[in-house]
Amino acid sequence: MTDTPWPRFYVFKQDSPEAPHMNCGSVHASDAEMALLNARDVFVRRPECVSLWVAPAARVAEVTVDGLAGLAPQADDAEGQAYEVFTKAAAKGQHAHVGQIAAGSPGQALRKASETYPDGVWVWMVVPSVAIVASPEDEGQAWFEAARDKPFRHQSFYHTERLIREIKAGQLDPEGDE
Amino acid sequence: MKDGLRPHLASYLLAMADDEMVLAHRNSEWTGHAPILEEDIAFTNLAVDEMGHAGLWYRLHSDLVGEDPESYPDELVFFREAPFFRNVQLVELPRGDWAFSMLRQYLFDAAESVWLPALEGSSYPPLAETAAKIAREEIYHLRHTQAWIRRLGRGTEESHIRLSRALAELWPYAVQLFVPDPAEDELTEQGVVPARADLQQAWMTKIEADFEASDLALPESAAPLSVDRRAHSEHLVGLLTVMQSVARAYPDVLW
Repeated sequence: MTDTPWPRFYVFKQDSPEAPHMNCGSVHASDAEMALLNARDVFVRRPECVSLWVAPAARVAEVTVDGLAGLAPQADDAEGQAYEVFTKAAAKGQHAHVGQIAAGSPGQALRKASETYPDGVWVWMVVPSVAIVASPEDEGQAWFEAARDKPFRHQSFYHTERLIREIKAGQLDPEGDE
Repeated sequence: MKDGLRPHLASYLLAMADDEMVLAHRNSEWTGHAPILEEDIAFTNLAVDEMGHAGLWYRLHSDLVGEDPESYPDELVFFREAPFFRNVQLVELPRGDWAFSMLRQYLFDAAESVWLPALEGSSYPPLAETAAKIAREEIYHLRHTQAWIRRLGRGTEESHIRLSRALAELWPYAVQLFVPDPAEDELTEQGVVPARADLQQAWMTKIEADFEASDLALPESAAPLSVDRRAHSEHLVGLLTVMQSVARAYPDVLW
């Protein structure tokens, strides 16, 4: 596995219908559909998931509290397109989806996001709504439910670790004649 | 179900289980070697799923032959010699390149996507229930491999050539999936399992559409290279040697 020329996609995972989509990491993929498929396998090995979003990293913009002053002033007030807004309160943690705004450019979207969601935020992230691809709603069972029936995916399902230690330590002889 | 049908259904299920198990092992050979990390994880996941499905079929088989469904599957997988496996040769072929493995998995997924819904109508309830459980997961598998063959088929000249080459090689093996066992007729008459001829028709219709979206031509109908699931290529012995080595080295260990 060497460097890939494939673009990076942000992945947002929703753990329950009431919870917001949270940024859980990113995947490389040739396109959004493959990114979604990969995101499912990389981030949904445990069953807590009801929906996934992916967005090309190139379409994602973010700004911290400290960077707000550096945003270019937006002469244009046109409400060009919808952006999804994500925020987090500190450097640690995950960006959570908080709502939607309309703006004419990513810079303007960040400024509006900081004005609309000002409290307790350390970083704002905006993504054009059209750049987000969501997992198909009618295939939720095939995508996410199956993980519930798979205790064998959990490390605790196996005694293997202890066994391998014993084998390595010479406590178990091959051919069963211990 | 009539008692006389039990051995026939047991053979049928053993064949399905062996198909899934051997394919799962072949696919697991990509772990650590896939083109990118994300796909490495995804394809490994898929291999584990197939292994889980094999486990379910082995359990049903064990019930029918009066063996312990907890321990007998391990015995079948790790302590049986090649001539006693009942998988099609399609799944034992070496993994080849990425196009070869993706297309093989796709052809198998497409077969399962028509097979499992048909098995959900089985007059043997445990079979119908298990098929329903697995079918849910296969929707996702098919999506994944469909996406890959579309991209390989319509990607670069080289990816198209590799995919076409893989198809030419796999095709006569793939059609063995639809060769019925002689003892199967009565199972079909009793509504326990679907007729393979109908399944093959549905499978062809499905893959024809996907092939079109992948710029692949559907091959002429071919005679299967083998019609007997007791016959294997030389590749199965090597596969089993690797797959069974640890269990055979430590036969008394509970994993």
